[in-house]
Amino acid sequence: MELLGEVILIAISAALINNFVLHYFVGICPFLGVSRRVDMAFGMGFAVTFVISVAGLLSWTFTTYILRPGAPLTTWVYRLAVPDTEVVPDLSILNYIVFIFVIASAVQLVEMYVRKFFPKLYKSFGVFLPLITTNCAILFACLEILRNVSGVPRAEAWGVVEALTLSVFAGLGFMLAIVIMAGIREELDSCDVPAPLRGAGITLIVAGLLALAFAGFTRVDQGLANLIR
Amino acid sequence: MGWIIIIFLAAGTMLLLAMLMTYVLGKASIAWHVEEDPRVEQVLEALPGVNCGGCGYANCHEYAEAVVSGEVDIDRCSVGGVSCMTALANILGIEAQANWPSRPIVHCGAKADDRLKKNPYGGEPTCGTANLVSGVQGCAYGCLGLGDCERACPFDAIHVIDGLAVVDYVKCTGCGKCAQVCPRNIISMVPFKADRVIAVGCSNLDPGKHVRAVCKVGCIGCGLCRKASDLFGLEDNLARLDYEQYDPQRHDELLAAAEKCPMKTIVEIGKPTDADLAATADKELAQPATADFETTADKAPYRG
Repeated sequence: MELLGEVILIAISAALINNFVLHYFVGICPFLGVSRRVDMAFGMGFAVTFVISVAGLLSWTFTTYILRPGAPLTTWVYRLAVPDTEVVPDLSILNYIVFIFVIASAVQLVEMYVRKFFPKLYKSFGVFLPLITTNCAILFACLEILRNVSGVPRAEAWGVVEALTLSVFAGLGFMLAIVIMAGIREELDSCDVPAPLRGAGITLIVAGLLALAFAGFTRVDQGLANLIR
Repeated sequence: MGWIIIIFLAAGTMLLLAMLMTYVLGKASIAWHVEEDPRVEQVLEALPGVNCGGCGYANCHEYAEAVVSGEVDIDRCSVGGVSCMTALANILGIEAQANWPSRPIVHCGAKADDRLKKNPYGGEPTCGTANLVSGVQGCAYGCLGLGDCERACPFDAIHVIDGLAVVDYVKCTGCGKCAQVCPRNIISMVPFKADRVIAVGCSNLDPGKHVRAVCKVGCIGCGLCRKASDLFGLEDNLARLDYEQYDPQRHDELLAAAEKCPMKTIVEIGKPTDADLAATADKELAQPATADFETTADKAPYRG
């Protein structure tokens, strides 16, 4: 029951309250680049959600079992080589390399999948699909998982369920934000925008207003937490 | 001792990760293999591969796909040039056609004095605006001579001379900008099969009587040219020359037809002949004056 409450909190927090795009301002480049049409925004949202889930799951696995200080696999191998020692092996130097590796591979996977089953979407994505590799929202999710695995006391460390929830709902939150943005921008096309604001200007203003709107969710998680506990 | 083990552990981790990912991606690439025409690969090999986008496609791969599917001609790659075109033709098993450059033809031959029923026009000096006003000149089809094409040309290859846009075929690269901006659509892009071609210098679709009333050199639709050469056609009271069927071998026949034209509407255009060049060879030609600076006023279309 406690896990369920935790999961609900993480989900709502990742998708709405601490929306990656509109609260942390990570993943802005696809947010502005592919939000011209709603269907493309949906596709991008799905792609990012998939990549973020795969990357989050794998990051959690690697950080928990191999990378964090005193991870079981690493310790086991270390003890095999040097029996009777108190040293806690620490591979956290590999964190970033592993994350980027995982993200790049997941993007490759998505690219192949989209190319096979949605050739039209593949064409319309163009360069933005490989660019998911450098989407900071995904690395941010990995780092968030890392923080909750190795940066907290062992008893409070996240399990696979929490990690997966965070990744999936962060992806869904990204999709929500980019689809809302695309909807607004489609409407904007038929609006009389003042000349100096056309293009990037009005887009950034809209993004800012959207972020303000999402700021209305602030501290909702505390209320929820009180409700659940 | 400990640090050596850490190094090995780190290397082992990366190796493990790499093996895992290689396995997954390898399996995926086999399972989700996209069937592609093997010729696309060959065409891609034959292309320069610089992904310059000069052909109008995002990269060489897209152009290769388009070529194989037959969407575009094989002559789009200007980087690869003729050798690339022949290679593509071999791969696709088609004949490499001689590639005619596309050049603009101004379908109006009336100089300022040839136009009748002119009225003074004091508005914004662009064709686009003047075209909105009726009665600037009698002919509603012909060149307005205010130089939208001249301003649009990036190669300084079209000039309004004596109230008529004239293409300088030596400088022209066939980009088609002039044809795009002309508000009266009198400039058409055609395949230029010879250095000098015959053109109908009129766009007026009105019956002969009305044409005579507004222009000294307009096509009256008499059809004499059609009798002289079957390359000419007559449609909507206007002589037409079909440049797809155009045959440079029959230049003399067309010249004879042009001779027959009572209004002298049919003209020979193109690069200057050797005779033309010889005639002006000994003369010192004035260089066009160019400003070595540019102010914002230079680009302003309004006359104050």
